[in-house]
Amino acid sequence: MARPMGSVRLKKTNPVTLAVGAALCIFIIYFLIGSSAPDFSASRKATAASHPLSPPTSPFRKPTGGGKPKPPPVARYNLNNVTITPNPLENRENILLLTPMARFYPEYWDNLLRLSYPHELITLGFILPRTKEGNAATTELQKRITKTQKYGPEKDRFKSIIILREDFEPPLTSQDEAERHKMANQKIRRAAMARSRNSLLFSTLGPSTSWVLWLDADVVETPPDIIQDLARHDKPIIVPNCFQRFWNDEKKEMDERPYDFNNWQDSPTALDLAKEMGPDDILLEGYSEMATFRALMAYMHKEDGLLHEEVPLDGVGGAALLVKADVHRDGAMFPPFAFYHLIETEGFAKMAKRLGWQPIGLPNYKVAYPLALTI
Amino acid sequence: MLPLASSGSKVTPRHHMAGYSNGYPRGSTFDISPHRFQPRSSTPAQRSRRTQSFVRLAIVAAVLFLIVLLSWSGRGRTSFLSIFSLGLLSSDPSNFELETMRYYDLSNVQGTARGWDREERILLCVPLRDAETHLPMFFSHLRNFTYPHHLIDVAFLVSDSKDNTLDVLVQNMEAIQGSDNTSMHFGEISIIEKDFGQTVNQDVESRHGFAAQASRRKLMARARNWLLSAALRPYHSWVYWRDVDVETAPFTILEDLMRHNKDIIVPNVWRPLPEWLGGEQPYDLNSWQESEPALALADSLDEDAVIVEGYAEYATWRPHLAYLRDPYGDPDMEMELDGVGGVSILAKAKVFRYGANFPAFSFEKHAETEGFGKMAKRMQFSVIGLPHYTIWHAYEPSVEDIKHMEQMEREKLAQEQAEKEKAEKVMKLKESFSDATGQWEKDKSELQKITLQEKKKEAAADAEAAVAKNNAGSKAAGDKTEEKAAARNDDKELGKT
Repeated sequence: MARPMGSVRLKKTNPVTLAVGAALCIFIIYFLIGSSAPDFSASRKATAASHPLSPPTSPFRKPTGGGKPKPPPVARYNLNNVTITPNPLENRENILLLTPMARFYPEYWDNLLRLSYPHELITLGFILPRTKEGNAATTELQKRITKTQKYGPEKDRFKSIIILREDFEPPLTSQDEAERHKMANQKIRRAAMARSRNSLLFSTLGPSTSWVLWLDADVVETPPDIIQDLARHDKPIIVPNCFQRFWNDEKKEMDERPYDFNNWQDSPTALDLAKEMGPDDILLEGYSEMATFRALMAYMHKEDGLLHEEVPLDGVGGAALLVKADVHRDGAMFPPFAFYHLIETEGFAKMAKRLGWQPIGLPNYKVAYPLALTI
Repeated sequence: MLPLASSGSKVTPRHHMAGYSNGYPRGSTFDISPHRFQPRSSTPAQRSRRTQSFVRLAIVAAVLFLIVLLSWSGRGRTSFLSIFSLGLLSSDPSNFELETMRYYDLSNVQGTARGWDREERILLCVPLRDAETHLPMFFSHLRNFTYPHHLIDVAFLVSDSKDNTLDVLVQNMEAIQGSDNTSMHFGEISIIEKDFGQTVNQDVESRHGFAAQASRRKLMARARNWLLSAALRPYHSWVYWRDVDVETAPFTILEDLMRHNKDIIVPNVWRPLPEWLGGEQPYDLNSWQESEPALALADSLDEDAVIVEGYAEYATWRPHLAYLRDPYGDPDMEMELDGVGGVSILAKAKVFRYGANFPAFSFEKHAETEGFGKMAKRMQFSVIGLPHYTIWHAYEPSVEDIKHMEQMEREKLAQEQAEKEKAEKVMKLKESFSDATGQWEKDKSELQKITLQEKKKEAAADAEAAVAKNNAGSKAAGDKTEEKAAARNDDKELGKT
């Protein structure tokens, strides 16, 4: 049916309707633009790199399309000015938080978001294996990152985030805890772990990092002030005590038990054992077949002890570990081979000692782990 | 005509408009009768329209309020303004988007034999200290690399320099990056400063003296590790270590070494020498194969001892890459090594990513590059040297060489002086005494002259006698005068001598 009086319709249009239309247009345009990421503050933009070829510890300007790409600038870094002090907050020191990840635990990310250290000074680095599980974890991780970095409030957003995928085949597909901890598998597994850690560390460290915090992917609970608390000790390598929460059937309640047995002080027995070993054999902790009688930090915990009590260590674990960047820069790495019959984080402690850096443990400062399903 | 015809018909509608005479009755919408009074009161439809417009007005007000609110709060301002300016007026340099996340698959940067075809990035690491004099030479090498420049990231570490190294470095690099020739532009360039408080002097004698070696090598190792850890990125496939004082090297060295597709590979390093020292000499003795005596020696040493090669104090009897050079040998020939020298090392980036670095402590009794070779071997990487592929290190005369050269110079001067003196003496002798040999010659010629004249006189007398005898005429007399003239000429010649 034809519409009558077409021309009359315009005459009848109320100026109010026009105003409403115009307002709606603005409204739509505004929210189209506004729905993209909220902007970063000027101070963050000022510290960003101008070219994608730049240290990954800083964000960079998204290349705008069109025009010839400029050659990267001549960048100067003065490492004499990178401070590492007991008060990192005041000196605005950069933290590199590194996590080798095989599974993604949402609680892990929530815990990161709770860290009280300014997030604009924290760079996160992840390395994931190239397995089905690794792919799933990467997807999960990227989802959470996008949520936080794009749509989250600015104070939650981290300075920059690096995700790496391993370039070697994982030695063991099973993440089953019992299988994982079998002694025969340990050397291969930990050598691969060491390669992961080194790959992550040496391709992300960059010229501005002051502290490196190693945090395992299953550490779901730390004190929010962990960075400030650990840095306060001003030690080259410092390790808190790691505990695992579990359901105690006898007591019918949640309980805690020691978890990380790689934090230890050497014993004469262990040294004698090492002397009799072949050059490629390694000493392992926590196995009855190989009683080392080392003093384990896991058992040094006292409920009434001072929170910040320090003990010197000869071997460290990697669950939570704060290291001055200088220690890594001097060449202290995680040996993927038998180094003084030690491997990975324990070998790292030994190598750091050879370079003149003494690791320290905090037996009464606790970091908790997730629930263990099987033992 | 029309109204008449219609009025005559009984079926046609009463109010019928010309344009819409389709025969169907209209709805009530426009059923306006001019014969009835209709009050100007609002219809229900009008009323609802009015309330609707009020609602709309309220919405508009709310939206405007929201916009104003957001535009006043700092975060929304820039994007709000950019709507009206359509992004054209945004001259604000802070108006760009940030990328905070980077994703890299390390299996894409393994390093292959044909990296230049596969866009594989190389990190070129150059440790420097008081190296201003060598920089022009180094930059000419840098410009001449045939490997695509945009795939080379250059990182320098300047430590404890007292000369102008840093400024010269920055100027040169900026000149390259700013040049119009885009094929000259390199990738990421990092110039890193870090002072380690080195106490060892950089002159040849203190650098190469035996006593200083262990601590010097450990400091060098620290410097190398600091440089590497600050500059290595997840996108590097290769790492190339190059000393700044290489004098001659093929422009294609990166490709030449890469072609072998080894984890770690080094060329042979020699240096040119002055003629009196033999013309050339093996330079880098840190590339070697392990030997039994050396392993035994290592076992006998203290945990912190560092074996350094090329010093009489540690006789290791190791086969050195440098000594195996044949100038006419196959440049592609490979040799397994255990220790490497640091003048020119090409390594896959994964070697360093997996953790191998330059031990700044005694690692199996070795430090720095030699320790790096040992460590890489422990990690099952291939360590290869090319005995017949040679690059040339600059020749810096040692203190002894300089002494020797001074000695040589002195000797040369002394010899010249002696020769000069000798010549002068001869001159003097000549001047002060007359030459006896000359006198003798004179006397001899005098005597000869006299005898000759006498002979001629005799001959003339003989001839006269013969003429007289034969009663010669006027013709004969003419001959006689000719003969006399000849005799006079002879006299003249004799007088000359």
